[in-house]
Amino acid sequence: MADSDNDSGGAHNAGKGSEMSPREQDRFLPIANVSRIMKKALPANAKISKDAKETVQECVSEFISFITGEASDKCQREKRKTINGDDLLWAMTTLGFEDYVEPLKGYLQRFREMEGEKTVAARDKDAPPPTNATNSAYESPSYAAAPGGIMMHQGHVYGSAGFHQVAGGAIKGGPVYPGPGSNAGRPR
Amino acid sequence: MDQNKQGEAAEGGNIGHPAHGKNQEEQSNPMIAPTNPPKKKSLEEQLNDFWAAQREEAKMTTNFKTHSLPLSRIKKIIKTDKDVKMISAETPVVFAKACEMFIKELTIRAWANTEARKGKILSQRDLVSAISQTASFDFLDDIMPKDAGLPRTSIASTENAYLNMPPQQNVAGLPYDAPTMAFPNLNHHAPN
Repeated sequence: MADSDNDSGGAHNAGKGSEMSPREQDRFLPIANVSRIMKKALPANAKISKDAKETVQECVSEFISFITGEASDKCQREKRKTINGDDLLWAMTTLGFEDYVEPLKGYLQRFREMEGEKTVAARDKDAPPPTNATNSAYESPSYAAAPGGIMMHQGHVYGSAGFHQVAGGAIKGGPVYPGPGSNAGRPR
Repeated sequence: MDQNKQGEAAEGGNIGHPAHGKNQEEQSNPMIAPTNPPKKKSLEEQLNDFWAAQREEAKMTTNFKTHSLPLSRIKKIIKTDKDVKMISAETPVVFAKACEMFIKELTIRAWANTEARKGKILSQRDLVSAISQTASFDFLDDIMPKDAGLPRTSIASTENAYLNMPPQQNVAGLPYDAPTMAFPNLNHHAPN
């Protein structure tokens, strides 16, 4: 898997590419995006050194891995294969990021509502085939679950390789996701 | 539309300016705090304002196509963990928002240190200080450069950092052991 779905263009990525290999570059979020977000948190006249931007790049990747690791452990304990948004919120609570959870709950609820609307719209026509474009891949849900509350549901599921979509039904009251024909969990 | 300087950022990123500008305006008030003398209480007030703004902003999101961070890259970072088999579509979306908040919280705390030392440029050592002062950031200690030496930043670069932008950054070695980029084996699952 090369940089085919690298959707961050511009001079910064070009400059960044000369400093580290494409593989290495994939381990961090683009420095331009990170820099822009940092500036939004600072007074207008504030300046940021490049080493600070790069340090934050590394911190963000570490943050993602930290939360993902905890969420993944929880899924394994519960014999589930797919990490979803609620697992991330739980992990953040466990790891000391309680302040993040309330905004993210609202955000996730809004996202699910939007996805629900798209589901209805998608029924009027065939779901477009999945592409490598990041956003379009998230625009063709085909699960029948109705959004609401803290219900576990499985919409788009992305395997570790390729770009396949698997739609599953919502299971109320239980964390089990019996996907028909789904893969038997292969340990490594 | 954007109030902050975007000289560098203007050339990159995949964010739509109209939606971005809207978010920008909604958040600018609590973020542009008056330059108070740096106090612990002042920082706490800034962070309280920050979290209040985040809670309000999260309710108003209507366009999930426009993210401040690329979902594809977030997904790749998630996948560096070999134990992770499958993730739902909402996972990178949640992370995009969470990482934005994380970057802002970290930046606010670091800037308090910049002000405390009467500095003009937020630098790496301000981040190191902010991380050491914040319990929830303990997980970052291992990847932070030690005071004895900065593995990734030479002394010259450090000095250049205070002259605004360093000319060239030496990224020969990263301060933490990079995870192997081998992705997990194929997980075959039949499409429904």
